[in-house]
Parts: sequence; C-alpha cells; structure tokens
Amino acid sequence: MDQQIWIIAPQGRVDAASAPGLEAELKQRIAAGATRIVVDFSATRYISSNGLRVLLVALKATQCRDGALKLCALAPRLREILALAGFDRLFEIFDTRAQAEQSFEK
Amino acid sequence: MTDSFFLRVESRVERLAEIAEFVETAARAAGLNDEQVYDVQMAVDEACTNVIEHAYHGDPHGSLELTCATRGKEWVITIRDFGARFDPQKVKMPKTGDPLSKRRIGGLGIFFMHKLMDRVTYDFSEGAGNCVTMIKKLGK
Repeated sequence: MDQQIWIIAPQGRVDAASAPGLEAELKQRIAAGATRIVVDFSATRYISSNGLRVLLVALKATQCRDGALKLCALAPRLREILALAGFDRLFEIFDTRAQAEQSFEK
Repeated sequence: MTDSFFLRVESRVERLAEIAEFVETAARAAGLNDEQVYDVQMAVDEACTNVIEHAYHGDPHGSLELTCATRGKEWVITIRDFGARFDPQKVKMPKTGDPLSKRRIGGLGIFFMHKLMDRVTYDFSEGAGNCVTMIKKLGK
C-alpha cells in the first residue's frame, strides 16, 4: 500500500466547470495507488454540490482500499456548507494541512 | 421596486463564474451581507447548473436569463430557461444523516437551494419555459 500522503489543493471555485478536473486528478491518484489523500481548501473560495459529489466518490474509493481522504483549511462558510450537507459526519476535517497529515501517523 | 439587474448567458458551465459575479454585484447593491451574498451565489450556481445539465442536457446553445431585484424586504432572483421541462418533484432529497455506505450521490443541488434561500418556487409554461424564483429575506 502506498503510504505517501498526497495533497490536492483546489484553487478558486470548484463548480460544475472545474469539478471534472478535480475528479480526474483524484481518480488518477487513486488508480496509481494513493490511499492517503488530503484535500487542502486554503485556496478554495467556493465549492458546489458537483464538487462535494467528487469528494464523496473519492472518499468511498479510498476507504475501499483501507485508506482515507481528509479535508483541511476550509473557510468558515465552506465548513458550514459541508456541515449542512452532513459531510462533517462523513469526512475527517482539520484546521490545518499539518494536522491532517499528522492524523495519518496515529 | 429598486433597480433590477439582468443577465443573459448561454448554457455553458464555463459561464458559471460570470453568473456568480453578476449575482454578487446585484446582491451587494441590494445591501446583502457577506454571508447572504455567499448563500445567494451558491443557490444561483446550483440552480443554473441544474438548468445546464438537466434542462439543456449539456447543449451549450441554450440560454439562461437571470433577473434580480429587491421587492420590499425581499431580494428576488428569477432564472428562466427554454430547455426541457424540469420537475423538481422527481428529484429525491439526500438524507444528510445517512452513513457513507448508504449515502446517495444526487439531489444535493436542490437541497442547497432550499436550505440557503427563504423560498424557492418553480414554474413552467409552453413558450415561456422553466422559471425558478428564489427569495432571500433582507435584514436578517
């Protein structure tokens, strides 16, 4: 199993136009053996339901391989939006990238 | 009724960022605060994505017409399209408490529209197409 932690940091808007690119990147990483993924939202202004669906699909794919996909550095409103959809119960969410990375060491 | 804002764009996902800018300009002019601006931008983004993906089935040659204005203590936006009739009743809402194993993928867009706006209504007529009207109460 690939023990490396992969960081993906979407920029700006993750909407119906950009979500397919994020999906392709995640699929490619997972197909290449990545099971520990951190999505860093520090440069993400907005995420739509299309983006959330991509995260959900990738979470399921990593968990099927005994891995995990974790989220970090969400702006307060983005975090509230995820909670509204119940995603805070599905994903481990961290304040910083370092905390998300360290959580894999335990 | 104050000044109204109007935008017509073709049905492409690449235009969603421009739509978000339009909504921000109109919402700020109406005095919405930062959180309300985020909410209406997201609700409109989800509504327009539905139009592009479901009413026009990805055909980029359709058009979306957005009109927004303040009416009394409400900010009102209508989104009109001339694609296939959209029936919101057919969309199942996600169960946000479901565990991952049971969690379905669809329905989130409409879920957010209803969560983020105070009122969402749908209208369809032959010739005038689909029209979604969403309302955000001001001053909350």
